[in-house]
Order: sequence, then structure tokens, then C-alpha cells
Amino acid sequence: MSLATKRKLQPYLYIAPIMILLLLMFGYPLIKSIVMSFQDYKLTKLNKIHWNNFKNYKNMISDKNFWLLVKNSLVYVITSVIGQFLLGLGLALALNKRFRGRGVYQSIVFLPWAFSSFVVGLLFRWSFNGEYGVINDLLKKMGVIEKGISWLGTPGYSLAVIIFAMIWIGIPFFAINILAALQSVPAEIYEAADVDGCGTFRKFFSLTLPFIKPTIIMTILLRTIWIFNSFDLVVIITEGGPANYSQTLPSYMYSQAFSSYDFGMAGALGVLLMVVLSVYAVIFLKVTNYDKAGDF
Amino acid sequence: MTRKTKNTISGIIRGIVLAFYLLLVVLPIYWIIVTSFKTNAEIVNTQHITYWPHVFTLENYQHLFSTMHYATYLKNSLIVTLSTALVVTLLSIYGGYGMARFKFKGKGAATIFFLITQMIPSILVIIPMYVFFARVKLIDTYQALFIFYTITNLPFCAITMRSFFEGIPYVLEEAAFVDGCSRSQTLWKVVLPVMFPGIVAVFVFAFIGAWNELIAGTIFLNTQKMWTIPIGLKALVGKHNVEWGAMMAGGVLALLPTAIMFIFVQKYIVEGLTAGAVKG
Repeated sequence: MSLATKRKLQPYLYIAPIMILLLLMFGYPLIKSIVMSFQDYKLTKLNKIHWNNFKNYKNMISDKNFWLLVKNSLVYVITSVIGQFLLGLGLALALNKRFRGRGVYQSIVFLPWAFSSFVVGLLFRWSFNGEYGVINDLLKKMGVIEKGISWLGTPGYSLAVIIFAMIWIGIPFFAINILAALQSVPAEIYEAADVDGCGTFRKFFSLTLPFIKPTIIMTILLRTIWIFNSFDLVVIITEGGPANYSQTLPSYMYSQAFSSYDFGMAGALGVLLMVVLSVYAVIFLKVTNYDKAGDF
Repeated sequence: MTRKTKNTISGIIRGIVLAFYLLLVVLPIYWIIVTSFKTNAEIVNTQHITYWPHVFTLENYQHLFSTMHYATYLKNSLIVTLSTALVVTLLSIYGGYGMARFKFKGKGAATIFFLITQMIPSILVIIPMYVFFARVKLIDTYQALFIFYTITNLPFCAITMRSFFEGIPYVLEEAAFVDGCSRSQTLWKVVLPVMFPGIVAVFVFAFIGAWNELIAGTIFLNTQKMWTIPIGLKALVGKHNVEWGAMMAGGVLALLPTAIMFIFVQKYIVEGLTAGAVKG
């Protein structure tokens, strides 16, 4: 082999192991699930698998809960992402200035990143328990409420508890990434702005924000995708209750797949989620003018 | 307003903001720890909620080890998690380095592919894998979880590793090339020692991802002696009631290893992701 071809092949040697592995392990299941979504595929009737003429998709859309699930999913993902982002940005800005004990402080407030959503979910379920939960007790002591609220048994509230838990666990992801971006902003540009007499807000919006914009775009995109697909908090905190009022599309898909073993239906829901996310990603990157396309 | 009062006011606001975030994180942690040391009678007392254990007890922790085989779950979790984290880190080093240091055809497509893997709902991967594992008799083995955790943690870890590599000045490698080092010699002897904190950070990401995972575990494992910690704890959740005391004790023990690791590496993550001149 000539030196030139060797040179050309070199990058592929480095990325080959990971690419082959990912292509195989994501590619095969992906194609298989798309195929399943067009079939009558029940684990309990594996000998009766057959094409069913879009029946899974038709059933999915005509399901009486479908639009409730769509609404819940949107509320869940939009409020969680906005909440995490704003609180994460606030934390990053607060951490960007030196103060005594910052190292220790930082290691505590970033902790939720390391926590399992299973344990966090249970802690929230326990704290928001209507009978012996600590939240009701605190609110009563503060005089906000007189009688305990059945948080997890009330439509609206139950989804709010899930969103609260999701925001709590996700703040550090935004805070760490934005903090790193803030620390990459060269100090000189602030000095110049000070000379020009720029105020704090002016500096933030015309200097800081443009600088950290790529980080913000990428973290919001990734986080939206992750949150949209995640359903463990739903399963752990409410199991979708009461009466599907906190059920989202992915958690419904999970229950379709592993309580009724209807893999065809689950596949159809999965394909729907993928399509929605792809459309979202393309539009989001276009609207935000992200020039380093796909470069996260 | 004078400059001095302005500074005092902004200092107070910052103090309030910092206190808010601290309480937001500390209070739930306080609550899980305190609950884990209460007796069951105290935990389910609906009349009177105690903010400090009346009777301090270790019975919840004892229960985990005596009747629940927590030690077995711990062993299983460690085997699966450590092997996953090691392999993910190694693959991420090569993939991340390749993506950071070379220009090649298909690089853009490769990056977009990483993004797409993140969009695939995990259930869509789990279902066909389940069918496949059942066929090749991998259900109820460490390998099943190892394979699933490796591929699900790989994309994010590789991308993060790539950012870390991009933060390292290229002059280091050029100097090594001039001295006649090959690419892989340079990677192992020159770049990786500088990268060490970043490598530890990626290892911890993969560790956290595998250690905390519940759903795939409940699907790929059947027998109790194979269960990992989250699955073992889930058994404490009944249809109508939860053994809260044991659950909180198990939760504390489950959070401890990842929390300790994260305390040490969070600084490196911020530093590693910080680009440009300010980098030390």
C-alpha cells in the first residue's frame, strides 16, 4: 500500500470500530422495528406474524387517548426543557464569577447529573404522596394549603410532579455546558465593552449570548430529544395515572410493548416519535441558523 | 446609586440565587438520607411527619442485606457497569480522536448519524434486541446488559471525548511527529496523558449511564440472582404500597458511588469543555 492511501485510510481506522458497532446495533433494530410496525407482531402469537395493512398506525391514531398523549408529551417536553434551560443558565451565570468555596459549591449543585432517575423518581413520588408526603406537610405549615393535596391522583398535578422531577435532574447538564462556554469567552471583549460604558444587560445580550449560542442550541436540541423519548420518570412516579392524564407517547409505547406484548403497535409509536424528532431537529437547526450543522 | 451600593445589592442578589440552587439540591438529598434512618412506623405516620428521626435505626439497611440480597445486586451492577464503562471509554478514545483530528469524507454524515442514534426511542432498540437475545440464549446474562449499555452510552461519550480532544492544542502532536513518533504512539504517549482528566470524565459518564439504568435491565434479566441494583430496588415497589424505608436506604447506597465519582470529575468536565485561551 502506498503511503498516500495509507494516509487516506487512517481516519477510518480510528472511527471504524465505533461506527461499525453503532451501525449494526442501532441499524438492525431500527429497520426491524419499522418492519414490525407494519405487521401484526405480538410476542404471544409469534407464529401468526403477518402484514396488516397499516392497522397499527390506524389504531394508534384512532385510539381515544391518542390526542391526550400527544398533548401530555408536548406539555412535558416543552416545560421541562424550558425549565431546565433557564435554571441551568441562571446557575451557570451565578457560577461564572469567583467566590469563596465555589469548588465545593459546584460539586454539590451538579450532583443530580449523577443520580439515577429511578431513585429520584421514587423520592419525588414519596415526597408528593398525598397522605404522608413531606410537600403537603410543608405547604400546610407555611399556610399555603389547609388540606393535603392528592398530587399524584389529580389530573394536571401528576404530570407537573413528573416535570418537576425531570427539571430537577436536568439542570446540571445545562449548567455545566453553559458554564464551560461562558469560560471560553475571552475576557478582553468585556474589557472593551466596559471602556465603552456598556451596562450588564447590554453586555449579556450583545456579547455573551452570541458567544455561547452554539452551546445553547446543541444542548437544547440534545436535551429535547432525550426528554421526549424518556419515560422512566412517568413509569416510576405515576405509571401514567390517574387515567392516562400523565401518560406520554413513549411511556404508552413501553406499556404496549411490555404489558400487552404488542410489538407492532409499539413499533408504530416508535416510528412516529422518530419522525417527529427528525422534523423538529431539522427545523430547529434551520431556525436557529446553526452553521456548524450536526457538529455537536 | 453609588457604585458601592450597586455592588452590595448585586452581591446580595447573587447570594440569594446561590442559596436557592443549593437548597434545591440539598433538601431532597437530606430527605432521602433522613428517611432511610427512620423506623417504618415513623415513616408512615400520617399524623406527624418528623424532620429528624425520633428513633434512629439501621434496620432499613440491615433489611437490604439480610432479606434482599443487596450484596448480589451490588456485585452484578459492578460487573456490568465496570465492563461497560471500560469498553465505552476505549472505543470513545479512538472514535473521538478520529473525529477531532482528521478531515475525511463522510465526517459530516458520521456526526449526523450520532445525532440520529439519540433520536431512536430506547424501546425500539430493546424490542428487536430482546427477540434476538432470546434466539441466541443471551437473556438473563451479563452480556445482554453489557451490549445494550455499551451502544446506548457510546454516542454521547464519543462526542464528548471529541470535544475534549479538540480542546488540546495540536502543537503537542506536531512536536511528537517531528521526533518521529507514529500516530498511535503519539496518541498513547503524548495526547492521552494530557487528556487523563477528560478520559476519567468519560469513564464516569458511561459508569453513571450503566449504573442507573432500570428499564432494559427489567426486560433482559429474569432471575433474581442476576438482578442489578435498580431492578432489585424496584422489587420493593408493590402494586399498592412501597417499602419506603428500605427503598430510601437502597437509594442512598445506589446514589453513593456515582455521587462520589461525580464530585471528583465535575471540575474536569467543565475544564475539558472550555475551549480556547483560558484553558490551563
